[in-house]
Amino acid sequence: MSTPLVRVADVTRHYPGVRALTGASLEIEAGEVRAFLGRNGAGKSTLIRVLSGVERADAGTVEIGGRPLGDGGVQRAGELGVQTVHQELSLVPGMTAAENLFLGHWPRTAAGRVDHAAMRRAAREIFDRLGLDIDPDAQVGTLPLAEQQLVEICRAVRREPRLLILDEPTSALAAAEVEIVLDAVRRIADSGVAVIYVSHRLDEIRRIARTATVMRDGRVVGTVDLTTTSTDEAVAMMLGSTYEAAVRPQSRTVDRTRTPLLSVSGLRVPPKVVDVSFDLYPGEILGLAGLMGSGRTEILRAVAGFAPIAAGTVRVDGEPVPRVTPAGMKRRGVGLTPEDRKSEAIVPLMGVGENMVMSDYGAVGTSLSVRPSRVARAARELIGRLSIAAASSRTPIAALSGGNQQKAVIGRWLHAGSRILLLDEPTRGVDVEAKEAIYQLVRELADRGAAVLFVSGELEELPLVCDRVIAVRGGTVAAEFTGADVTVDAVLSAAMAA
Amino acid sequence: MTTAQTGRAAPPGAPAGGAAARLLAGRAHQLNEIGLLAAIAVLYIALGSSAEGFLSVHNQLGMLRDAATIGIAAWGVTLVIIAREIDISIGPAVAFSSVLVAKGSAEWGLGVWGAIALTLVLGLLWGAAAGWLRAVFDVPSFITTLGVWSVLGGLGLYLTDALPVTLPESGAFDVLGGDVLGVPTAAVIMLVLFAVFAYVARFTPYGRSVYAIGGNAGAARLSGINLTRVRVLLFATTGLLSAVTGILLAARLGSGSGGAASGLEFDVIAAVVIGGTALAGGRGGMLGTLLGVVFITVIGNGLVLLGVDSFLQNVVRGVIIVGAVLVNVIVARRGRTTPTS
Repeated sequence: MSTPLVRVADVTRHYPGVRALTGASLEIEAGEVRAFLGRNGAGKSTLIRVLSGVERADAGTVEIGGRPLGDGGVQRAGELGVQTVHQELSLVPGMTAAENLFLGHWPRTAAGRVDHAAMRRAAREIFDRLGLDIDPDAQVGTLPLAEQQLVEICRAVRREPRLLILDEPTSALAAAEVEIVLDAVRRIADSGVAVIYVSHRLDEIRRIARTATVMRDGRVVGTVDLTTTSTDEAVAMMLGSTYEAAVRPQSRTVDRTRTPLLSVSGLRVPPKVVDVSFDLYPGEILGLAGLMGSGRTEILRAVAGFAPIAAGTVRVDGEPVPRVTPAGMKRRGVGLTPEDRKSEAIVPLMGVGENMVMSDYGAVGTSLSVRPSRVARAARELIGRLSIAAASSRTPIAALSGGNQQKAVIGRWLHAGSRILLLDEPTRGVDVEAKEAIYQLVRELADRGAAVLFVSGELEELPLVCDRVIAVRGGTVAAEFTGADVTVDAVLSAAMAA
Repeated sequence: MTTAQTGRAAPPGAPAGGAAARLLAGRAHQLNEIGLLAAIAVLYIALGSSAEGFLSVHNQLGMLRDAATIGIAAWGVTLVIIAREIDISIGPAVAFSSVLVAKGSAEWGLGVWGAIALTLVLGLLWGAAAGWLRAVFDVPSFITTLGVWSVLGGLGLYLTDALPVTLPESGAFDVLGGDVLGVPTAAVIMLVLFAVFAYVARFTPYGRSVYAIGGNAGAARLSGINLTRVRVLLFATTGLLSAVTGILLAARLGSGSGGAASGLEFDVIAAVVIGGTALAGGRGGMLGTLLGVVFITVIGNGLVLLGVDSFLQNVVRGVIIVGAVLVNVIVARRGRTTPTS
């Protein structure tokens, strides 16, 4: 074997109170595509930041092509040929693809003007090399998401990297768009570039990489040959043995012979949701598992009437809903709490009370006027019932902790009398204690007869809350688990790959 | 307004962190209103001692009438700005309304009440149209109301050849342009509408929806608030209020004119913003706007009484308005940053 291009030896990186990375070692050959696997917080991001010079290692060495990275930071990493493409796009939508490739480094003519001709030529040359059919003059904002992602990758390629790091390049893409990206990555590797490919989608990783480095709790657990490693084995490495010990609450009994409160069949919401069907029974907490970009948010929005449905039927209490509109679904008892609390759920300047009653003003007054005393009473009742830590119902909701904000957002739908709660990542960005409180709340609501659809990208929490879990992959329901069968590794395997 | 309420309503013995934040947030907002009151008091003292006749009953009543021209539309524009929209059509809309009511009653044979009804209905309709374009097609309200500004301004001048149209003799116009129990009718209408709008903003589902949309339109939508309906209503309201203002203006002047109320839209927006309503949406209220209207009216009146050159008046007003908003912003920022640091 030739000398490896990338050599990471015993790299450790600590933050105050956190060992983000401990004694990590690995080697990558030129022309190799190496997958990084691990749960959130396993240390993948820290390792990537060290490799790209954003963070310095507390101990250990990184060598690229035999030359040490040392303490040179981002600039040194760039000189050694490390380029990183981050998960979030950093393109200017109003500029052309060529202009974006050269963003901030536009070639100039002798007269000092931007040399559009040279830029276009260089862009076309790069696109051709990667077998892409992208018009250099197309405005980036008008391109499909997959091509935008490719422009982002091409910008890194333009700098002739020796190591290209791709952090979840396909997480925002629909399954059908992924292949174009994978094909371009293959060509980049074939030209002798080492590629680190971070993704949670195992089926996709198998198509692009032969080897995977698995990380857990800040350590490199091992590097495996993907051709001989099963998905279950990889998942077991990611989770470790400690995992099954997590405390599960007593299982709840759900009567699934009754008419489902919510029944969805053949739901199609282009481009991500192809054909999704499920039933949700009274008193049931149904988990919806899926990776980022699997369409889980789109399913919820469509059912609540906020995204147009291309095909499929939604039934409430067994009755088909002729036209799924926000007002109609609200009237039928459907309430949706969005994933992004700050930008889509709370009105920051308003009091907690007002934030909760805005789902139904009629309940706190007449159709013409809102009675502050009744707002206060309704809010006090919800604040007590949900144990929201707020000084008064008039405390601006922005002053509350994330967990209390989330309870208030759920409270908004209790105020409206919703029976079908669609909770999109209700525990995102809240601390451990608040998570437990939200699980408790969800269980109580179900005990009182509500039906809850619980979406989570943190698969670990699904066994702690859900009576049943469906895993969504490739736009369809890939698997279903009930009761004791809901385990992290089973759900993770189903969500990641067949 | 929300923040002002929370400040006043802080219960004794509430947990320290939240209470302190609420108090300070409330105080920042009250500071703005107290500061404006203080500024108005200073203006009264300064002008009372320097401008002859400023404090006379006659001049004070005249100012009240002037305030109505700005104030009536300002109530509607306050809601528009709280909802994070803008309406720049007020001036030409008022002028065109004065032309409509004059033409309708003097030349089109609609009678006085017919002309008034026509003006009100059309005002409602062009406002609703601007709101509909905003709500349904996402055309920015700056542009839709710019369109209204241009169309109505042009129509008003075109219909009249830029000449005033005299109103017919009528008891109704005499009352609308005159006094009720010694108080200008326009001012009475302004104050009644103030009460109505202050109530609407605080105590109706519509008013609270306006605050919610301005504070976070996405959250309002996902809570089931009908954004389209609120947005259409907002601009229909300002259209209607422009029509009311135009009718009162025509009654007072005895004629309708396509060139009337020139630049009024900027006085209205300035009054709203001086009153503490944030252009960024979600924050503000009628009381602040009322003080802003008084502030702008007093300055305008004082400059006239002091005999300042009419071109120079605009320069002075411009400086004072920007200065007032600057103070406002600095006070608000201080109120927001101190509690957390």
